[in-house]
Amino acid sequence: MFRGKGGPLCRKVRGMLSEYIDNSLNSEDKSFIERHIETCEACSKELESLRMTVQLLHRVPEVSVPRSFTVTVPQPRRESAFGPSSLRWLRPATAIVAVALVVLLMGDFLHGFENNAGVNSGAGNVTFSAVQSIPSSAAQQQTMVTVPGVMGQMSLATAKAVGYTDYTVLPSPLVSQPIAQPVPTVLGNEEITEARVMAQGEAGVGWPLRQTEIGLGAAVFVLLALMIFARRQRKKGVGAR
Amino acid sequence: MDEQELISRSKSGDVEAFNLLVEQYQRQVYNLALRMLGNSEAAEDASQDTFLSAYKAIGKFRGGSFKSWVLHIAANSCRDKLRVARRYRIISLDTLLLEPDSLPQANNTESPEDYALRRELGRFLSEGLAHLPEDQRLVVILSDVQGLRYEEVAQVTGSSLGTVKSRLNRGRTRLRDFLLQREELLPSKFRLNK
Repeated sequence: MFRGKGGPLCRKVRGMLSEYIDNSLNSEDKSFIERHIETCEACSKELESLRMTVQLLHRVPEVSVPRSFTVTVPQPRRESAFGPSSLRWLRPATAIVAVALVVLLMGDFLHGFENNAGVNSGAGNVTFSAVQSIPSSAAQQQTMVTVPGVMGQMSLATAKAVGYTDYTVLPSPLVSQPIAQPVPTVLGNEEITEARVMAQGEAGVGWPLRQTEIGLGAAVFVLLALMIFARRQRKKGVGAR
Repeated sequence: MDEQELISRSKSGDVEAFNLLVEQYQRQVYNLALRMLGNSEAAEDASQDTFLSAYKAIGKFRGGSFKSWVLHIAANSCRDKLRVARRYRIISLDTLLLEPDSLPQANNTESPEDYALRRELGRFLSEGLAHLPEDQRLVVILSDVQGLRYEEVAQVTGSSLGTVKSRLNRGRTRLRDFLLQREELLPSKFRLNK
């Protein structure tokens, strides 16, 4: 504004005017400026306008605070067992239980698949009804009979081979056997024995496995619910203010 | 209780002692923030941030001027607010800086005309300060509005004495140019060319 075409001397003076106004120059620089402004009107006006500006700035009113900025230290909140910090252990616990459940389910599925494949590849569908419908020749080998006039017992097959037609069938040990007992090897059908063992497995070993799977599934569900709860608690958490 | 004792008690976690220091400096901090940001709401936020940061960091205070230390934190807080406002364009910087000031009510000795003039001058100067670059604005406010010495300004801004003098000179000159360009808007009492 007041910057005329002053030479290097004016530029030097104007660079020091601010300090001159603040009275922070040494006496030598101060007298140098005073000598210069006596002869340089542009620098003199520059000085006055700057001085006025500084005076105006001194008059900028100080505003009172709208409120107090005192600091309040929040009381340490007693956190529940499933508060925000419990996420640290909830996450890995949920992951471990979920992985265990998946491994168990996969193992169970694969085991069941292999067993089915093994049974199906044998001598047809072997079921308990198959055991009960044993071929008649084998039954005849096992069924004991008594023939009037003949001492002792003989098998039905022998009685028929000899030509006896009048005989009394004795209670068969095969019929009275518990169904889970192994079938006599006379049948030559090992798959039947395997099928019975399997049947035992389904009833004896399968149920604890199911229980474990159900338990793990429930645990995953509960842990997930706790994680969601803990996350909500964390979002609700307030800062220092 | 003197300031040094309040500081040492604050360092040991005495929040009441720290709040006595807050009450002592909150006016200066708030005014610095208000002139830097030009917005009372942003200034409140910056002031609260300043004292919270100061409370957390009081253990690191290694002596010297507590006022300079607190104002240094306040200046950084204002810079952060301005940076965020610029980066996310939450609010236009011009709008942020040119919001009318909330001046205290006129006291009993001040006439309504004088109060109106003072208010007009405050608004005008706030507008002028808003046109200064951030570093020059900070130095001008600290030196000419708050009356800090060069050494104190250097401590608050974390710059050398030479830098402070240079920024102050350039800031004043720039503000003077702004006022001269709009002199007809300035009350005649305060015009630079009389």
